[in-house]
Amino acid sequence: MNQLTAFLCFILLAAAVQAEEITLYSHRHYKVDDALFAHFTEKTGIRINVVKAKADELIERLKAEGEQTKADVFMTADAGKLHRAKVAGLLQPIESPVLESRIPPALRDPEHHWFGFTMRARVIVYAVDRVDVDSLSTYEQLARDAWYGRVLVRSSSNIYNQSLLASLIAARGKDAATRWARAVRSNMSRPPQGSDRDQIRAVAAGLGDVALVNTYYVGLLLNSTSEKDRAAGRAVGVFFPNQEGRGAHVNISGAGVTAGASNPEAAVGLLEFLVSDHAQSRFPQATYEYPVVEGVPWSDLLSGWGQFKADSLNVAELGGLNSTAVRSFDLAGWE
Amino acid sequence: MNIRALARGLGDPWILTTLAVSLAVIAPLLHVLAGFGTSGPAWEHVASTVLGQYVFNTAVLAISVAALSATLAIPTAWLVSLFNFPCRRVFEWALVLPLAIPTYVAAFVYIQVPEACIPLLVWVRQTAGIDTYQLAESGLRHGLLTLLMAATLYPYLYITARACFARQNRIVIEAAQTLGRSPGQVFASIGLPLARPAIAAGLSLIVMEVINDYGAVHFFGVPTLTEGIFRTWFGLGDRVSALSLASLAMAAVLTLVVVERFQRGRARFAHQSGDSTPVSRRPLSRIRAATAILVCAVPLTIGFLLPVAQLIYWSWQAIPIWGEHAVREPQILNSLFLSIGAAAGITLAAVVVVYTVRLHGHSYIRGAARVAAIGYAAPGAVVAVGVMVLLGKVDRMLEQVSTTTDLPTVLLSGSLFAIGFAYLVRFLAVPLQAVRSGMTNVCGSLDEASRVLGHPPLSTLWRINLPLLKHTLLGAAVLVYIDILKELPLTMLLRPANFNTLAVTAFGLAKEGRIYESALPSLMIVLVGTIGLVALNRLIGERTG
Repeated sequence: MNQLTAFLCFILLAAAVQAEEITLYSHRHYKVDDALFAHFTEKTGIRINVVKAKADELIERLKAEGEQTKADVFMTADAGKLHRAKVAGLLQPIESPVLESRIPPALRDPEHHWFGFTMRARVIVYAVDRVDVDSLSTYEQLARDAWYGRVLVRSSSNIYNQSLLASLIAARGKDAATRWARAVRSNMSRPPQGSDRDQIRAVAAGLGDVALVNTYYVGLLLNSTSEKDRAAGRAVGVFFPNQEGRGAHVNISGAGVTAGASNPEAAVGLLEFLVSDHAQSRFPQATYEYPVVEGVPWSDLLSGWGQFKADSLNVAELGGLNSTAVRSFDLAGWE
Repeated sequence: MNIRALARGLGDPWILTTLAVSLAVIAPLLHVLAGFGTSGPAWEHVASTVLGQYVFNTAVLAISVAALSATLAIPTAWLVSLFNFPCRRVFEWALVLPLAIPTYVAAFVYIQVPEACIPLLVWVRQTAGIDTYQLAESGLRHGLLTLLMAATLYPYLYITARACFARQNRIVIEAAQTLGRSPGQVFASIGLPLARPAIAAGLSLIVMEVINDYGAVHFFGVPTLTEGIFRTWFGLGDRVSALSLASLAMAAVLTLVVVERFQRGRARFAHQSGDSTPVSRRPLSRIRAATAILVCAVPLTIGFLLPVAQLIYWSWQAIPIWGEHAVREPQILNSLFLSIGAAAGITLAAVVVVYTVRLHGHSYIRGAARVAAIGYAAPGAVVAVGVMVLLGKVDRMLEQVSTTTDLPTVLLSGSLFAIGFAYLVRFLAVPLQAVRSGMTNVCGSLDEASRVLGHPPLSTLWRINLPLLKHTLLGAAVLVYIDILKELPLTMLLRPANFNTLAVTAFGLAKEGRIYESALPSLMIVLVGTIGLVALNRLIGERTG
């Protein structure tokens, strides 16, 4: 009898332990995320199940699954996608003094549906041996004729470019932004193609002189296993544009708790863990992204690029202007 | 009258199963088909800005890949079927191998070529000016994309053309040879025209693959209709217009299928007349044999040997970092489990559908069988979204049932069932085609005799048709197996949490730019696929002698 009771207790306990798990739908695909999740599990006993796919497709999956979704957390590498999930009613507002005090207001949703946990800057990189850094100033000046055949950027289907153009629309209006996109497209050294990494490699090789990329890709190349890539990383310099004006365009990696989350407390716990000093200090080292929490030390690489002024536009605005940006790209003929 | 036939048919388990299968295939695609001719809020914008470019790029790519595939596949199929030269036996099966290389893996490999050409392009840029350089860059990129797609897709055509040449009418060809026609003349005036339906069938498969490709075109910066679908859906937030684009692509593909079917209708007539003994292979002179070897070696090298060599080299380079990224057993087992399980299930479904059409020739059953093949014409990610939406609705219904009846809730979304179901929708067309032609060509009217002798349909299928179709079925199942091994969008989107396959792992790593680490899972896909293909070729070899 005693044995039976013990057995039943064990089953109940096992069920309770089993219940402590959360499921994460993530567009991020970095090793450090897995390591951080393992650390979170070690600390809290909460297991994390992950489904990785493209953000838009995960949004469709969340929509289809509705209230019955197994996902507790939705994580992306761009504010626009989080905004889209929020508008579709897939995220729930959360009250967390930790998140609100640690994350600057411009890097989280004003209505508390999602929160940024890393910051990324989209900047100009230039060939150190051919470009006089004094000839660089703003995103806007890349539209000038002097840059004909010298600019490298990836496709406008990429969300980072869409968010950059959204920030230009917010600052200058749709027509000016479309004119800018058309001029930059005609200044391109080759039709848009490849990843941010490929643009840096092409600048290093001499196919063009400047490229618009996220800073951490320079870090990834500098720390690559391939000597050719490391050389490419060394051949370019990082320039933060618009320092006299609104600041360099920044975006976030962020996450929100799903509307149908079955374990919202644990989900909030994960979000809070991601802005803890431990997690925040890992990002600059591992993915070369910027921490969002002030005072967290940067890596040597990030410090080497220097402090910069970031655009103070709330990243939520980027999501609101996303489809306007895509239309502008289409009108400008930027594939 | 049709309704009465339908009502009567619903009592028959064969008809019921066939109708259920076609309903299952069509249900997740209804929202796409409903998109035909409709236009959402962004349609005018899409039509006036980017639509022309999407259609142009898709059409040019489809036509050029089809043409190049034909150039690679038809002469090789002709050579290995009708002539004897050194290494012929090896080439005969090895020429199918590029099928084991996913197009996106070939794209990772071949994107290295433009990178290797950068110094040349820089030189052009410096000496001939920016405009000339841009022309050269664009030509190189489009050329390579066409080449890599043709080199990995031509086996679809090679397989159909070889099967046809091997069966071609001996008397006609030998008569032409006796009358002094040169081998080239025989090929142009007899071999090619007789093989037209088989060539059309192979080409239509290739064109479908090109239209639905997403990975390779994206890497090479050539926006086609598939890219337009996702950009309109997610970027412009206009699902209606996106599905309208998807239905446009499907309509193009279905037109091809109809044309191909029309062609095949005549082919059956041609095949059944005359002596079907295979042509005896003629030996070639030394110079001609050398040329034949060269002609066969080119597609094999571009489509298989070079990519595999590169993958092996990268995997070797990655050995020091394998510790944390090594391909783990679960990925291989998951891939094998999905591919083998789904291939068996889907082939079985195809047998049931084709056999039902044979048992009951009602027009609505033939219609249902045709509908069951429609999923192959839709882009994978569109099928995935359709399946997700449908299963979400089913899940909500199941939940209501479970709350009212106290039965446990079953969640289909995010389960392996969802993936298997999506594979059925997407790939049923592959075994359907093979089994259909197998039943007509191989079984003749033997099963009718069996049924006249009093055997019920199931027993006849089991004792007569299945044994006769053994090779056809295994062949069809291997093709599905390879397709699923390479499949990406459905698996990635519908899989349960923490569930990885080789394809998902390879693509994830490559997308992150970790080419060296992605080489090993890519190589595993090729290896596992090659094993299946070698087995298939053994079978075909046994059959055709």
